[in-house]
Amino acid sequence: MAKYPFLQEASDYIQETKFDFAEFDRPEMIHIINRAVEKLENELKGKIYSNLDEYEIEIMTFLVSLLLIKSIGLEEVSKKCSLFEAMRVERFLSTDLSNERSSQKKKLLVQKIFQDLFNINIDFDSTSSICKLSIPDYLLRASKMYEQEWKLINRSVKDGYVYLDTDEAVRLIRNELSNLIYTRVKNMKVYEVPILIKSKADELRKKYSGRYVYRNQFKILEYPPCIKHAMEIINKGENLPHSARFMLATYMLAIGKTEEEVIEIFKNSPDYNEKITRYQVEHLAGKKGSHIKYSVPSCDRLRSEDLCFAVKECENLINPIQFGRRKLT
Amino acid sequence: MNQTEYTNENIKFLKDIFRKYYFENKYFPYLYSIEKREFGYRKFDSLVVRHLSFKNIGELVAELVRNVPLDVYYSNAYYGFPSNPINEKQWEGADLIFDIDIKDLNIPCFHDHTFYICNLCGFVNSKQKLCINCNKGKTYDISIPCKRCIIAIKKEAAKLLEFLRSDLGIEEKFIEIFFSGNAGFHFHVNDPNMRNLDSNSRSNVTDYIIGNGFMCESIGVRKSRNGFMIKLPKSGIMNGWRKKIASSMGINQKSELKLRHLVEASGGYDEFRNEINSITKKFGVHIDSQVTNDIHRVFRLPGSINGKSGLTKTKCDDLESFNPNNDACMLDDSEVYINLKTKLKINLKNNNFKLDNVIEKVPSYVAVYVVCKGLATISKNQ
Repeated sequence: MAKYPFLQEASDYIQETKFDFAEFDRPEMIHIINRAVEKLENELKGKIYSNLDEYEIEIMTFLVSLLLIKSIGLEEVSKKCSLFEAMRVERFLSTDLSNERSSQKKKLLVQKIFQDLFNINIDFDSTSSICKLSIPDYLLRASKMYEQEWKLINRSVKDGYVYLDTDEAVRLIRNELSNLIYTRVKNMKVYEVPILIKSKADELRKKYSGRYVYRNQFKILEYPPCIKHAMEIINKGENLPHSARFMLATYMLAIGKTEEEVIEIFKNSPDYNEKITRYQVEHLAGKKGSHIKYSVPSCDRLRSEDLCFAVKECENLINPIQFGRRKLT
Repeated sequence: MNQTEYTNENIKFLKDIFRKYYFENKYFPYLYSIEKREFGYRKFDSLVVRHLSFKNIGELVAELVRNVPLDVYYSNAYYGFPSNPINEKQWEGADLIFDIDIKDLNIPCFHDHTFYICNLCGFVNSKQKLCINCNKGKTYDISIPCKRCIIAIKKEAAKLLEFLRSDLGIEEKFIEIFFSGNAGFHFHVNDPNMRNLDSNSRSNVTDYIIGNGFMCESIGVRKSRNGFMIKLPKSGIMNGWRKKIASSMGINQKSELKLRHLVEASGGYDEFRNEINSITKKFGVHIDSQVTNDIHRVFRLPGSINGKSGLTKTKCDDLESFNPNNDACMLDDSEVYINLKTKLKINLKNNNFKLDNVIEKVPSYVAVYVVCKGLATISKNQ
């Protein structure tokens, strides 16, 4: 419970002790509140808080952390702390699964976290550090990861199962763990935050609120090669496949071109029809149909659709939108 | 068909034959959850009708007999409300469908039996991509697959089947193979465990089957400051693509040293990566990834006539013995006169047809084939 304070057992423990939030204002609780603050500050600096205490302390620290995050009320803080809390759990879980000798305890841990929380049926071999899970269970999670090593082709696959080592299996659920903590914070209904926690939250908000305005404007200095290639084909008056048109239009909209400017690009297509093009561009911009603005397909997607013409500068990019841009100061 | 083929005689002839086929309703295979599928069809005037739904095969056939479309489609997706507009259909999952086509295999003989047909005047030539008759129209190409093409596509289909069974572990009962009715095969996978995969997950599956994105790191070769280093993955190299690559290089989980020598012999990390890329190309299957990744697509209906050839999209229980020109040719054999635009040799229903004259008397199934391909018209003087 100390390492996994988000489990049902931890909530049950708090309920059994009939703990009241007002008790956090008692002087003996200060060290727990300070511990939670220390943990959050570590997380906000991008560090995993690795100290581990008795389970009563850990459960209370986790609860205070959630209250603090909720009271700070900054989306970026909630997201970052949830992620680092998940990474902390990941570290404990990975070690426990590798070191635990009792297969019964190992099974219980797997059931509590993988099966009960995330509905993943995973088989851990009791003698080795290798586990297996079904391809659909794997794909639903791995397809959200950008690193190429998570692509199915780079995995050990046999008879409908993906074989992972312990660290990989635990890494696979990081996003879900993070979302679980984030959702806990979001759904928390706190009518009165204990005074001590509120004042600490106010201090943290002041300290961190300015740091997370990082959505800077960018200027595109050069089109990525995939876009250049599509533009060349269009300019020659040749036919561009549907997927390439989708890429070109979403890219142009994403870098700030107006719908009129995007429509203009397609005027050279052999089958150009202004009405259809306008509808499609407006649809992609989220102004027609589903009213969802479409994102530029990822580099991975473009590679699989044969639309990628990568050059050296494309290394480590995950989306064409990252190519050739410079921050506007 | 091109503009010249849309004459009353051609359309009437094709419609009569198609109507008779649908009326007899002998070849429709069972469709899973028909009531949850979206249906659509292309009319002879090219207009597409979509967002239709039918409660059962009887209702569907009645619609086909009434309207006699050129092509019929149905969704791979299961919807709560299939006839609603796309955003209100309530997606409930979709079959995983793979499409392999002869034209993607780059078979050397392919161009030998490819014809270029003018969009405007219908003129046929076998070499020029521009119309040499009217000098205005753009050409489109059609092909009449030869025996070599059929053997190659069946080999590719067998490769795909092996991937689905052995790597993805899909049970045979969930895999249906169909000849598309023209130049390829469609694999329909209706495994309930795969139905809920989103488009990104499907893209991951298609990359797996094509062989896109394999990293040398997966078999233990990593880039380092000194060039490269070897560190075999804990989960082993004897499964999936790792095994395919390892076996082709003659290495296994204990061959660290041999692997090091192989990388050195190839010239380093980058060169070794290039070698791996050529191996993945060899083992991968030429599927159309966009078809599989789309979770809202409509596909040619099994048992329906392919308007590009007049052949039927036919279930194929045994790949090896399947002969598309015979097993998928299900139309009438009453005779009819056609005007040919080019000399042709074709084999249908196990009969060879050498069509050398401008006007030829042929069985209806041959006439449908060549008219749908744009290589002939129905003769007015029957």
